[in-house]
Amino acid sequence: MTAVASSNRASRARIFLRHETILAAMLVVALFGLGLFNDRFLTIDNLLNQGRLMTEIGLIALPMTFVIVTGGIDVSVGAIVGLCAIVLGYSWKNLGFPLPLAIVFTLVVGAAAGLANGLVITRIKVPPIITTIATLTLFRGLAEGISQAHSVRGYPDWFYFLGQGDVFGVPTQLLVLFLAIIVFGVALDRTTFGRTLYAIGSNETAARFSALPVERVKLAAYTLSGLMASLSALVLVSRVTTTRSDMGMGYELDAIAAVVLGGTSIFGGSGTIWGTVIGAVMIQLLKNGLALTGVKGDATIMVIGVVLIASVLIASSLQRRRV
Amino acid sequence: MRSYLLTTAAAAALALAMNTGASAAGWDGADDLPTSPLACDASAPAAPAAKPYDGGKAVNAPDKAGKEISVVDVPKLIGIGYFNATSKGIADAAKDLGNVKVKTDGPTEAKIDEQIKFIDNYITSGVDGILFAANDPVAIAPVLKKALSKGIHVVGYDANSTPDAREWFVNQAEFNGIAKAMMDSMAKEAGEDAAFGIVTSTFTTPNQARWIAEMQAYGAKCHPKMKWLETVEAQEDNVLSFNQATTLLNKYGDKIKGLFGMTSVATPAGAEAVTKAGLCGKVAEVGLATPNAMKPYVHSGCVKSVVLWNPIDLGYAAMYVMRAVVDGKLKAGDASVDAGKLGKLNVVNGSEILLGAPYIYSKDNIDKFDF
Amino acid sequence: MSTIALSGASSARAPFWRRLSSQEMLLAVAIVGLALVVGLVNPRFLSANNLADILLGNAYIAVAAIGMSMVIITGNIDISVGALIGVLATVSGSLAVAGAPIAVTWLAPLVFGMLVMGLQGAIVAYVGIPAIVVTLGMLSILRGGLISVTGGKWITDLPDAFHLADIEIFGFIPMPVAIMVVATILAAVWMRWWPLGRAIYATGGNPEAARLSGVSPRRTLVLVFVLHGFFAGVAALLFATQLRVIQSTTPSGLEFTIITASVVGGVSILGGVGTVVGSTLAAILIAEITSALVFINISPFWTHALQGALILATVIADIERRRRRLAGAIR
Repeated sequence: MTAVASSNRASRARIFLRHETILAAMLVVALFGLGLFNDRFLTIDNLLNQGRLMTEIGLIALPMTFVIVTGGIDVSVGAIVGLCAIVLGYSWKNLGFPLPLAIVFTLVVGAAAGLANGLVITRIKVPPIITTIATLTLFRGLAEGISQAHSVRGYPDWFYFLGQGDVFGVPTQLLVLFLAIIVFGVALDRTTFGRTLYAIGSNETAARFSALPVERVKLAAYTLSGLMASLSALVLVSRVTTTRSDMGMGYELDAIAAVVLGGTSIFGGSGTIWGTVIGAVMIQLLKNGLALTGVKGDATIMVIGVVLIASVLIASSLQRRRV
Repeated sequence: MRSYLLTTAAAAALALAMNTGASAAGWDGADDLPTSPLACDASAPAAPAAKPYDGGKAVNAPDKAGKEISVVDVPKLIGIGYFNATSKGIADAAKDLGNVKVKTDGPTEAKIDEQIKFIDNYITSGVDGILFAANDPVAIAPVLKKALSKGIHVVGYDANSTPDAREWFVNQAEFNGIAKAMMDSMAKEAGEDAAFGIVTSTFTTPNQARWIAEMQAYGAKCHPKMKWLETVEAQEDNVLSFNQATTLLNKYGDKIKGLFGMTSVATPAGAEAVTKAGLCGKVAEVGLATPNAMKPYVHSGCVKSVVLWNPIDLGYAAMYVMRAVVDGKLKAGDASVDAGKLGKLNVVNGSEILLGAPYIYSKDNIDKFDF
Repeated sequence: MSTIALSGASSARAPFWRRLSSQEMLLAVAIVGLALVVGLVNPRFLSANNLADILLGNAYIAVAAIGMSMVIITGNIDISVGALIGVLATVSGSLAVAGAPIAVTWLAPLVFGMLVMGLQGAIVAYVGIPAIVVTLGMLSILRGGLISVTGGKWITDLPDAFHLADIEIFGFIPMPVAIMVVATILAAVWMRWWPLGRAIYATGGNPEAARLSGVSPRRTLVLVFVLHGFFAGVAALLFATQLRVIQSTTPSGLEFTIITASVVGGVSILGGVGTVVGSTLAAILIAEITSALVFINISPFWTHALQGALILATVIADIERRRRRLAGAIR
């Protein structure tokens, strides 16, 4: 069983290496193409700044890759971002927590929200998309209810280091994202946990019969999703200096787009963190590059839509030829 | 089934726990600002004590006085009639000025994170000036300050940021002025003892939250017998606004005499709800709206008065203020600014330029406007 | 053919007494129960006017959920439908303002909807790209395209005859409600008794078996998307003709509202199971909850949290009921 699985994985890895190579090539071409039109695009300053702006989506897209690799999906992450932003402000201002404690509490709440998703999915066996559509409304509603439309502002200066500061010229949150990419990448590629994620996505029944801890691993994937959404909320609040209950609205679709563009199959069983990273970078830089070239926002979203469909189309037709 | 009952019971418990004060009594706008209701009669408000300039300053902005500049306009969102009108005014002003290149670009939904990204991109692309209408006064501040620090001039209109994040703000009408116009119109149409409901976008939309708070303060002072029934949210969504307005009408039946629409989406939808329910003449619809959407109801007589400033003029003024800042004709401490065909506009509140008193559209003049 | 019948319509062929415990029944009970409870708190809730208004204002969601249910039953999903409804409403309204004959303005969104959805269905069926990816891309294209083309201008000054939603059949049945009921019944009957309709279940339940028994899963899939486009067109028409203004933005999250109606209605996201009667009832229930929360004075800050909790409770109940029945069947 394991032999079959690993050889499967090897051939799959080769194919998806191809997907990522294609995507990376497309990215490079797009970058230089756009760079030719505008000399402000390919500058260190701009690229670092784009990194700052894409961190929140990036942090969510990493665990989303795990979830989608298991054949699941989590559309509640945007709502968890909103809930966690409110929890941070509320626990600090209204409950009087010291800010460090409030931060920890926020991370706990985010993880708990993800865990709740995971429990409904693994214990009650409600399909992931249904569970998270329902909790999307629930979490967003809790954020609205707790905040009573109040924003919390005026955090101490040290807190803004996360979202606005630099370390040796690199935006702080970009370093956080780098670290997260490495951790998630290694976890998916090099650990038993990662292999179990693939096994669940390829064939959940087979994974269960191979005595893999299917439920526990799925639970962990959804909990991570909630945890990273709360981290994303911290970065966002620190960057924009205030909390709102509508924060993070629509993040779920942006994150899913990055994962899918990165070659992860929505049916589960295949995909890599590196692909997701390329996908996220591609979307961010395309938006930025087009804007700098003078393309308006509405036309930019259209281009993103076409790129999404076209890249998967190209990748799948190449793949079919090889198979 | 057991977990169904459990969850339902939990939801019901939550409902009971939260079943407190659905009426908006005590609404403070949720932004910790004081209210300042105007006098009940039409007397001009006492001139407020002059406030020193409290806006920010573009650092080392290149001197482009009289030269062509490129300006970008980033409204809260694109695709709604109101901001379509402001961007028309901005374009008109650019044409009259002759030395400004301007374009409007922004998110398709009123999302602050998206708006920040748009502004950030335009900072990088190197514009000379940014016009904005903020989705959130505080969240937008860091990116605007970044623009100022790069020598880009920043002028707001419609929805303000914190003062130090922009140079000037063109104020369409003061919050308490809008509140007075709305409450006085309602009292005139529905009676001094009328009970009314409100349909707004969301409780977190800054302008709407402020207006409602001011309406409450002014109502308590000048129309104490009017009864505030309930405020409901309807996003910037046509059909939801209609549904919510209908729900209020059905819930209160004969008791409800008036309905406020707080957005240019909610007001026509509310008027439609009153019309469909056959309550024209029995329930007064008063609200903020753009004329084209309200023409059918004003002509049918169902709606008597629509409160609004002219958004085309608002955009026009914002563009002129931007040009004046670049040309050095509007500096800290100035008392007025020249706004082309609009004449001279006054500086208030330190760093705001006031467009004027809110305008009330009625049957007699609504056809003169097309936006 | 027998395999299809088994996988497809086990619930549809069950005896009447067993259908009492179906999701449709659960929803019907919930709709009536909620109405009675809220009626106790505030009797005005039960007025004919209010009940009609709840149906009237949300009929378009129920109609769109019919097509969505078919798509989900085949094991696919569509998240472009909200943006498509916005585009179709604008197409229809623009034609009306331009003076096109009323029949054309009513037919155009249906035809255009079928074309766009048919295209997406063909990509899903014949190129093999997952529906969620295709429709996610299409969502961006439609949303951006709508603003690009209209420049964000609202459509006003619509001719009176355009307002389909204002017509009342026999002077008292509002057109949107009539369309919702008729469309639901026709779709339900078609899916239960017509071979082509049953093929939808077969495609979602077990495509391999479907192929073996002579059903082409690919052609069925394209057909389902075309039908979904048709219903989206009808929904857009109701959406456009209800008010005197057509916005060039769509309500954000409309696609999620429609999908929610389908899944709360008992349509399984894994394909093969569910009925459009369920999705219509669910759309009604969700609309009823929104209205009820205002009537019983729930603080508006907490309405979404409660909606979410109730939706979660309903889908959990559906899953548990199905599991118990499965356990019973095995025993």
